[in-house]
Amino acid sequence: MLEFFKKSQCLLGMNARNLEYIRPNNRKRGMKIADNKLLCKRILKKNNLGISTLIAKIENYEELDSFDFSTLPDSFALKPNRGFGGEGIIVVYARKKPARQTSGGNGGGAWVKADGTTISIDDLKNHIRNIIDGSFSLSSVPDIAFFEERLKLLKLFKPYTYKGIPDIRIIIFNRVPVMAMLRLPTRASNGKANLQQGAIGVGIDLATGTTTTAILGKGHLIEYVPGTRLALSGIKIPYWKNILRMSIDAQSVSHLGFLGADIAIDRDRGPVILELNARPGLSIQLANLSGLKERLKRISGLKIKTTERGMRVGMNLFGGEIEEEIEELSGKRVIGSIEKVKLIGKDDKEIEVEAKIDTGADSTSIDISLAKELGFENVLNTFESKVAGRDLLKELSKKEREELFFTVPDLADTFLVRSSHGISYRPVILISITIDGLSFPAKVSCIDRSRLNYPVIIGRKHLKKFLIDVNK
Amino acid sequence: MTYHPLIAFFTEQGVPVQTVLLLLMLPVVATLVAFFRQVIGIKAFGIYTPSLITFALLAFDPNGLKYGIAIFVSVILVGMVTRFILKRFRLLYLPRVAITLSIVSLAILLILVIGGMYQRTGLASVSIFPLLIMITLAEKFVATQIEKGSRAAFILATETLVISVIGYFLVSWQTLTVLILEYPWVILSTFVINFSLGKWTGLRITEYFRFRKVTRHL
Repeated sequence: MLEFFKKSQCLLGMNARNLEYIRPNNRKRGMKIADNKLLCKRILKKNNLGISTLIAKIENYEELDSFDFSTLPDSFALKPNRGFGGEGIIVVYARKKPARQTSGGNGGGAWVKADGTTISIDDLKNHIRNIIDGSFSLSSVPDIAFFEERLKLLKLFKPYTYKGIPDIRIIIFNRVPVMAMLRLPTRASNGKANLQQGAIGVGIDLATGTTTTAILGKGHLIEYVPGTRLALSGIKIPYWKNILRMSIDAQSVSHLGFLGADIAIDRDRGPVILELNARPGLSIQLANLSGLKERLKRISGLKIKTTERGMRVGMNLFGGEIEEEIEELSGKRVIGSIEKVKLIGKDDKEIEVEAKIDTGADSTSIDISLAKELGFENVLNTFESKVAGRDLLKELSKKEREELFFTVPDLADTFLVRSSHGISYRPVILISITIDGLSFPAKVSCIDRSRLNYPVIIGRKHLKKFLIDVNK
Repeated sequence: MTYHPLIAFFTEQGVPVQTVLLLLMLPVVATLVAFFRQVIGIKAFGIYTPSLITFALLAFDPNGLKYGIAIFVSVILVGMVTRFILKRFRLLYLPRVAITLSIVSLAILLILVIGGMYQRTGLASVSIFPLLIMITLAEKFVATQIEKGSRAAFILATETLVISVIGYFLVSWQTLTVLILEYPWVILSTFVINFSLGKWTGLRITEYFRFRKVTRHL
């Protein structure tokens, strides 16, 4: 019981959110930007942050009367400026083909909505009138309607999404991304990425941008997209670092100290900022199965001057848990396809280089120049002088070959290479390799790799204690 | 019962003791609502509506709870049905609320008449103001339905009723009445309580429940 209350200290509740984070950090100016989508768009655009392009806006009835609907593109989204919770948004996907003259008769215009139903210019006008009258704005104040470019669904998200566009909510405090979740629209949420209405929230590991745990709606833990066997964990979100950078920049330009940024990914344009929230909800803690308060406390005193630094801090502090988990489970270390390795040669000579982790190669090989640096110059020279240019396999018997190799000092083994030039021998030396903190002795062959990108490739023989994450 | 000299002075000036008592009870009820929101996490429709409903319930006495709850539930039900009917017409806000209020008041009238037909005149003899207070609840309900959806509005209405009923019991609690009439200064303690509630940053009890899966996982 005591344990329970102790752990609960990590959680951010409404009281603390309002009193300790929103009140002191989100002043009126920032709130104004967050509550006004058009103003927000303008400010973000001025600061070169991606947004979905504004097509047109309609502020009153006169503008509506004089608006030329034929100038609208084939697909667009119609939104109320001060709408909330995704209410009052109409998205059209294509212009209806004018097979016959449809009703209305003013130029013949109709569009197709997500569910396949058509919407005519008269329907649009009616909806815009409702927006202007404030039917969708908080406390019914008169509002502005605007058209913006429709975002296109990323292929990666397609199987996970019911209509609509998924978005990524990131909480940023003190220029540090603190927590993030991917919100997937479902049938229950009617294509809206809103958890209150039944969308899926998936936690994101900040270091890698890979999804972790997931909730459906207000707090039902799930592992798969309902009705399918599609796992929700392990989705790798593209443009992750870009998304983090954008959210941090959005915080600096909006003057919202405690910000919930909503970012969507467009198929063609990459990440775009949808909305800024001055009062981000707390369900993100459920999606991540992690407490916000504890995270916020850890970064509250830091002085962070640049976006890059803020991103690093966030990634280092609030990520990497997936890897740790996998490492714990498998007892193996997770490494990337390119990894920094340390080579230790004779007389403890050390070199640190980038190596290619190559599961297609059987054994490990290093560049000749590296081998020389590691103190094996003598070996290589002797080997060259005795072996170079000779076809040993034909010239000598097995015993003679062994004797020849035996005279070369420090030669651990030889490696037979079959190429178009016939068969040749490469020298193999014994060094020690350290990858991701794990050291082991390794026999490596020396080859001229000076024209290749990486001076070292690590082959299967030396990868038994590792798992390779190609995204890393 | 002995009154505090201050209360005695008030009544000598012609203020009915019942009025004094109710006015002094208001801070108590308001504090109760604030406590429920900040510490327990039961939201209700703001602070104004549950406080008023509390006093409306009192005004329905002697059968306060029975009639009060019946009227409350009727208002909410009629409000929900009306919303369902009016939804397709896409009306502007105020006309829509006006229609809702009209239908609700007609429904209440009908209930009073039906009550009278079955010789239950207790309800009809109640003063009009508590009835009106109950009817205005419909506006709050419709506004919430529009902003947060029917489900949320229904939950908030239930929470409002729960808080109001607890407030009703608190206000009709004899000991508290005696305490306030004898020591009216105790009312000042609500300031202290509200001040500390205003600085309270701990988790609400409902949040312990809401985030229990996270806590278990930490």
